[in-house]
Amino acid sequence: MSMLRVVGLSAGYGPVSVLQGIDLEVGEGEFVVMLGANGAGKTTTMRAISGLISRQGLVEVAGDDITKWSPDHIVRAGVAQVPQGRGTFPELSVEDNMLAGAYVRHGGHDVRDDMHKWFEVFPRLGERRHQRAGSLSGGEQQMLAIARALMSRPKLLLCDEPSLGLAPLITQELFGVLERLNRDEGLSVLLVEQNANLAMHIASRVYLLETGNIVASGTSAELSADDSIRKAYLGF
Amino acid sequence: MDFSLLLQRVIDGISQGSVYALIALGLVIIYRGTGHLNFAQGEMALFATYCVYQFGEWGIPVWIALFMGMGVGFVVGAVSEVTLIRPISKKSPFAVFIVTLGLFTFLNWLDGAIWGNQQLPNSGVGSKQQSFPDLFPADPEDQFNFLGASIRYERIGILLLVLVITGLLFLLFNKTKFGLAMRAVASNTESAKLAGIRTNLVLMVSWGLAAAIGAVGGVVMGGLNNSVGLGLMFSIFIYGSAAATLGGFDSPGGAVVGGLAIGLIENLSSGYAQKWIGQELKLAVALAIIVAVLLVKPSGLFGTEKVERV
Amino acid sequence: MKSLFTIREGGAANWTLRVITMVAIVGLMLYIPTKWEAGTLNTAIEGLTYMSAAMALNLVLGYTGQISIGHSAFLGIGAYTTGIMVSRWGFSPWVTFPVAFGIAFVIGVLISFPAARIKGVYLALVTLALGLVFPQLATWKKLAWITGGGSGLPIACPATGVSRSCEGTEVPTTGFNIGPKSKGQMQTFEIFGWNPFGDLRRPDNKAAFYYWIALVVAIIVYLACRGVVKSRVGRSLIAIRDNETAAAVMGVNLVRTKAFVFGLSAGLCALPGCVTAIKTGGVSPEGIINMTVRGAITFLIVMVIGGAGSLAGPVIGGALYVFVVDKTGTWADDDKIPGVLRPFFAWSEIPPGDGIFAVLLILLMFVAPRGIAGLWKQYIHRIVRVIPRPAGAIGATPAMATATATPTSNHEGEPQ
Repeated sequence: MSMLRVVGLSAGYGPVSVLQGIDLEVGEGEFVVMLGANGAGKTTTMRAISGLISRQGLVEVAGDDITKWSPDHIVRAGVAQVPQGRGTFPELSVEDNMLAGAYVRHGGHDVRDDMHKWFEVFPRLGERRHQRAGSLSGGEQQMLAIARALMSRPKLLLCDEPSLGLAPLITQELFGVLERLNRDEGLSVLLVEQNANLAMHIASRVYLLETGNIVASGTSAELSADDSIRKAYLGF
Repeated sequence: MDFSLLLQRVIDGISQGSVYALIALGLVIIYRGTGHLNFAQGEMALFATYCVYQFGEWGIPVWIALFMGMGVGFVVGAVSEVTLIRPISKKSPFAVFIVTLGLFTFLNWLDGAIWGNQQLPNSGVGSKQQSFPDLFPADPEDQFNFLGASIRYERIGILLLVLVITGLLFLLFNKTKFGLAMRAVASNTESAKLAGIRTNLVLMVSWGLAAAIGAVGGVVMGGLNNSVGLGLMFSIFIYGSAAATLGGFDSPGGAVVGGLAIGLIENLSSGYAQKWIGQELKLAVALAIIVAVLLVKPSGLFGTEKVERV
Repeated sequence: MKSLFTIREGGAANWTLRVITMVAIVGLMLYIPTKWEAGTLNTAIEGLTYMSAAMALNLVLGYTGQISIGHSAFLGIGAYTTGIMVSRWGFSPWVTFPVAFGIAFVIGVLISFPAARIKGVYLALVTLALGLVFPQLATWKKLAWITGGGSGLPIACPATGVSRSCEGTEVPTTGFNIGPKSKGQMQTFEIFGWNPFGDLRRPDNKAAFYYWIALVVAIIVYLACRGVVKSRVGRSLIAIRDNETAAAVMGVNLVRTKAFVFGLSAGLCALPGCVTAIKTGGVSPEGIINMTVRGAITFLIVMVIGGAGSLAGPVIGGALYVFVVDKTGTWADDDKIPGVLRPFFAWSEIPPGDGIFAVLLILLMFVAPRGIAGLWKQYIHRIVRVIPRPAGAIGATPAMATATATPTSNHEGEPQ
């Protein structure tokens, strides 16, 4: 059974339609990357899956049809998203950010234990746990956004361009964390990226999105082998 | 300088200011959640205040009536948010402002339509009560001497009530899960949705809570004035929004400080500059100070500056 | 959408329609003073006052998007200018109009500078503060030597009136101070020997005279607003409202344009104040409710219901407002309510005018944010469609351009 199945998804903003019916799938424990240029509709896809904008088509999570569900229900169903840009609550402390991430869960001790676990994974967050999130560096904020998303104990993590505005070294570190999470915890990941090179290495499968349509899909190896795709997206 | 007079004016000022702080708190709760100025804040409180008068007519003890009035306020605020503000906020901030203005006019008219345009209680129109229900002992002899200043129990009671409410709000914001959700929504609504927070519920409760707090302010004012009339809350709303402006519209602590500061400025300036300022100009002085603050610090004393994105 | 008729702009049919509209409006304006009596005429004057004030407010709010809840102060400045000049210094009321305009213009320009720096909620509150402080300043005891303090200023001293005494005030020539014949009091109004109104001591004639003054003021305000909106400044105004940063990049001098518009709006708003002072025959915040914040809120309601950002909007709004308030003014008394409507309004202790307008205001924001004028523009082309002139010629009216250009402008930048 696949973790996420999207069939004929279309969405947009008011009269402007961005997605023209896309299909995609993320298997259990899979690491899937969606590549696309600016304005291809990557963020819209993510927002549509999380229920932030109205959408047509079918979105299934672990077999449940969630197309008509509200955002909080979708989080409860096990889908967490790290949105593009600042995905944190800048006025809240790091700890409060983490606790807000666990909003859908019950039971204080479990939540505290989880928080300490993620502070071990991201030690810099642990050091700054009482600081306001807005005072963290860009890379730390992105880590906080990921840790916050993980606090809801998701089965599927949606990551919207976490590398945006970060130095290459920090991006690498971030991707390393995502890869470990996928490998060690069995977390399914759908990662949206412009930074193709890095993402292709860790992806088990890749989708190419162009002006609201999926134009190609396959394993990293398959897509790298295709000359035209390699020239257009990978630049080598 | 006459110390006891100063002390008395300071205490009166702080007590008066604490009522402004209540309205300011309501405004700030709404502004943080939605970014809107609720022009009808005072009128929502006024409706609840009229209800408390009505409960008093029915013989309900004042403290129970107060809680019932807060309940009425909560419902008015929450229903307004769900039926009017939420749908209209998709259009534009201007539309929201106009709708709260419409709500302001409507509620004021509704109060007049139900209770008439005379001051109540009024034995001429059949009121059983002699004066508006007092929360604290308010007879002329209910006062004590402290360092030469005669201090009314009522003033102290109001101040304590406001402190208790502020304290409870502080606990709600900082120590409860729902408070965390409220702060998260205020900070970043979209991320709050992605964290599974039901932002609609949070906003509805915020509006209800703001109106319920306002209701307390209305009942306190009714008690101080001994009556409720259609104009009771308008000037309080002005002082309250001035307090919120001074403190910064996104800072609850600032709202309280702003409210107390304005109460003090108002009482001290009218007291010590009787010849120049007196009763007529005290509002003008308070407002002039606020405009000056805004020119130096456009987001208030404790507010956070918003960077304009292109 | 199919329309019943299609006509070409500038064609014969289009001109016929324009002429018919003009004739209808002029006919109505001429008909009102001939047939109606003083009571109705005073209502009409009130309507013209609201129209003028709302048109002035519309310049700031409808075309630059700045919210002002303080325009009542400018109306008050007009009223007090007339009051002080006439009753203190014996000027003719005619002279006070340009002076009031000038004073309010300067004050408006001065206020526009802090207003340009303060945004959104804060600007609304600062203008509200202006509206609140004005009546307080006007009645301030330190200014009583000129404003008359709490009791205000008389500019007319009716010999029969017991309410107002002119003692202690020098009233050498009071222009429109209509009453029994004595020094400085006006009995008739003659233009080159033509006496259109007759004996002004008759209330109906007096009301008709004031009606014409109010009408001329309203027309002047309308033409001024029309001039601004159709000019280059007007187009930059719309640019400012839609996107400040874009307007700045386009080379619109924001500060100067806003200052001019705020000043003009303030100056124009002072004119109906002069009329009100003359008509009321005295100036005080209690006597002229429109110079308090209550007035400012009414101007806002009138403008928004008629249609913010359109020239015709405030005119429609003002007419509708006084019509409804006048018709329902006696409805506190249940017997005065027409039979069909009695079940809806009988429970109300006070006239339902404000309630009706509040509901209308809220409803309109949902169905037609551009007010009745916007609604008209939305549906009129189902009946008549006017084909604009070919490109190059001056096409759609600015109001139409506004209606189509704005709806999306207020949203935050949306991610792709």
